[in-house]
Amino acid sequence: MISKKLAIDVLNEMLATGADYAEIFAENSRGYGVSLENGKVNSSSTGITFGAGLRLLKDNRCVYGYTSDVSRKGLMELANSLNKSFKGERLITVSKLEMIRSKNRNPILHSYEDIPLKEKIDLIREGTDEIQSMNDPRIVRYVGSFACNHKSVTVFNSKGKWFHRDTEFARMAYSIVAADENGMETSFEGPGCQMDISYFKDKAKPRKVARKAAETALMMLTAKECPSGKMPVVIGNGWGGVLFHEACGHPLEASAVSRGLSCFAGKEGEMIASPIVTAVDDSTIPNEWGSIDIDDEGNLGEKRVLIKDGKLVNFMIDDFNGRRMGRKGNGSCRRQNYKYCPTSRMSNTYIDNGKSTLEEIIAATKLGLYAVGFAGGSVDPTTGEFNFGCSEAYIIRDGKVCEPVKGATLIGKGEEILKKIDMVGNDLALAQGMCGAASGSIRTNVGQPTLRVSEITVGGRGGELK
Amino acid sequence: MKFDKFFELAKKAGITDCEISISTSYSLEFSLFHGEIDNYTSSSSSSYLARGIYNGKMGSIGSDVYDKNSAEKFVKAIVENASVIENEDPVFIFKGSEKYHKINTFNKELEKIPVELKLEKLYELEKKIKEQDKRVIEVETVGYSESKSSSTIYNSHGLKLVQKNNFYVYYGGAVAKEGEQVKTGFDIAFGNDYSKFDVDELAKSIVKETTSKLGGFQCDSSTYKAVLSQDVVKAFMGAYISSAIAESVQKKSSLFVDKLNQKVASRKVTIEDMPLAKTVFAKSFDDEGVATKNLPIIKNGILVNYLYNLTTAAIDGVESNGHGAVGGSKVDTTTWYPVMKPGKKSLEELFKEVGNGVYITEVSGLHAGLNSRSGNFSLQSTGFMIENGKVTHGLDIITVSGNLVDLFNSIIEVGNDSKEFASGMKCPSVLIKKINVSGK
Repeated sequence: MISKKLAIDVLNEMLATGADYAEIFAENSRGYGVSLENGKVNSSSTGITFGAGLRLLKDNRCVYGYTSDVSRKGLMELANSLNKSFKGERLITVSKLEMIRSKNRNPILHSYEDIPLKEKIDLIREGTDEIQSMNDPRIVRYVGSFACNHKSVTVFNSKGKWFHRDTEFARMAYSIVAADENGMETSFEGPGCQMDISYFKDKAKPRKVARKAAETALMMLTAKECPSGKMPVVIGNGWGGVLFHEACGHPLEASAVSRGLSCFAGKEGEMIASPIVTAVDDSTIPNEWGSIDIDDEGNLGEKRVLIKDGKLVNFMIDDFNGRRMGRKGNGSCRRQNYKYCPTSRMSNTYIDNGKSTLEEIIAATKLGLYAVGFAGGSVDPTTGEFNFGCSEAYIIRDGKVCEPVKGATLIGKGEEILKKIDMVGNDLALAQGMCGAASGSIRTNVGQPTLRVSEITVGGRGGELK
Repeated sequence: MKFDKFFELAKKAGITDCEISISTSYSLEFSLFHGEIDNYTSSSSSSYLARGIYNGKMGSIGSDVYDKNSAEKFVKAIVENASVIENEDPVFIFKGSEKYHKINTFNKELEKIPVELKLEKLYELEKKIKEQDKRVIEVETVGYSESKSSSTIYNSHGLKLVQKNNFYVYYGGAVAKEGEQVKTGFDIAFGNDYSKFDVDELAKSIVKETTSKLGGFQCDSSTYKAVLSQDVVKAFMGAYISSAIAESVQKKSSLFVDKLNQKVASRKVTIEDMPLAKTVFAKSFDDEGVATKNLPIIKNGILVNYLYNLTTAAIDGVESNGHGAVGGSKVDTTTWYPVMKPGKKSLEELFKEVGNGVYITEVSGLHAGLNSRSGNFSLQSTGFMIENGKVTHGLDIITVSGNLVDLFNSIIEVGNDSKEFASGMKCPSVLIKKINVSGK
């Protein structure tokens, strides 16, 4: 949508007043979403995201602008209005653009755009049929949905580089509302990938996913209110990784670290976690939800070990925030779309496998909480204070998983929790989510094996744990 | 006009009624870090949403661009999407309301104020936050943003509606430290009358938000009589009145099923949606083109109205009350400017009435910790102890838990300190009989 010739002209206009870096992010993406409520298609929509974002940097200053008018006139006008933020002499002139080559770990083999709507709908209907077949009057509302996107992005920058990135990703989701005379509960399951439709046919099978969601909501109807207070908490694998994502992942992003606004700033090389904890952000896992081959600054995807045996060894860094840290970007610069200025973000972020089995961890816990499903959470990266809500949890008594409990919230400080991890399992799993921050909502995987924290403050309405 | 081709092609394709909504927006934002502009963003963008009825079903497409190929693309997508819909709910492209109230949400004066002046105030804000209190060790960010937008609806019934607005926002966040304890705080000021912006007041409020959290410790886990700050009331009120959305009620997944004209809150509680109030949030028509009106939702504790769009209103055999929110082929329902009617007592009087209890000033993690369908919540909170009618020390790392229905029924007193929020809500502090607090 933007020729190389036009890109060079726009970059040079951006650089006219002394910017030391300029970049054009051009996007032409298409998305499709369908949802079935109580078994019937109730919504089917198409969306087109189209426009360009221009970013200029000078030392530690960033200027960003975007427009949906990508004509020569539209882009040159925007470049001219943005360069007014700087008042210096030109430092750089771009005369040619060379393509950056990157590995394609997430190739589009069979595009979702070539699959008829009916086939996508039939896929989701398998799951809604499964729920219907359960014939449980307590399920009052169930929605199955499917969304797929083709994201086409071209980036040109003043380092004389350009690249084009085509990605396709899809997500299926089931949400359930179950109710009886005692109340109402909801549940959600939403697997996703950067892979063709075979993922949903062979791996994340709709019937299985939908049944799991329905069973969770029904089970939670029978759950008692969660007790409150400080207690040992066993956190389940997969979605349990949202704890690490919120409490430690965000404070390890350069956007917080570079300004000294992270509880982990200045602690590289220090023991920040229990020695049995190794944590990784890896954007190179083929077909995974959070993977990227090349980031928005043209840096290649990497496997970044963040914490090695308890010691802080790396951060997620983008080139711009890296300037304050004296570090180069490590492939972590991302954004939702052209309407967002990019910054350092997570990709597939997880705590690595340890040695214990799930059974050993449960058996070693006399009285505590087993938190399996989570509804999400949030964190203040400066203080490390986090909270997250459990959508599925049980009480552990004498080394056995006992009654389900609802309404549990785990709160605390990331740096304290990391040091209190006393058992790490060997059953690492990843789970898909959308992460919202300054540069918009992006695809990220959370993940971990089952692990135990010796003590967390649990909020709930069920009184003291006995 | 620009969209004639779209309407023409739609008709040819068998789309009986159709509509195109256009939103355009211009925005400017800059922020400072350590006395320097570290971020400056300006944008101009448009978005188009085309909807149409084909064989009695609604199809839609959203796009950031409308060019020479769009008319054809839009019509094709509407037909394709409408063709797979199975839901039998009635769908509408609206002919228009008899009367639309005039609203004034665009202030020409805001545009005339030079950017340099707006920036100067921002430098001032950063300086004033830093200077006020030695415990403030860092100004996390201070920023200014302004936006100008317009939304237009054209449809095949000849309806044409336009609405314009503009506003500015100043915001700032600080970090304070005392001993080993670090706390952050944030606040904003907004409006479209620039002359009303008071930089001292905002700086003071940011510092207070931040430093007041220092020195806190966990209280004993127990049930306390409590005052909830306006911020906390806003969070709970938003979740509670979403139960009045007719679609959730019709689908039996709301707390307000079969509750119309029944008691859902203490008689001290009156909540009205006020899209016609003189605010930057005012709206004269909803996303479907239906004229809006001020509408009581809860009156003296009684649920008096559900919130409707055209589809859900037709299902209940009533008229839409102008709460349609269009995002795609399916129309959702929203509130525009919910306001809780203030009472007569000041915050200090509420504290006195509590005697011994807690003052909850912040709840976070609502998306995970509050289930608006069951009403149960368990949320990370901050606040203060109230001892002998006075606020004493801060509370650190606590959660509050309960149920929305119980909470709204246990409101004993409503304060006179209404605060307007940038999310488009207004509410005072309230005094409640009891709340569970988990601490030590």
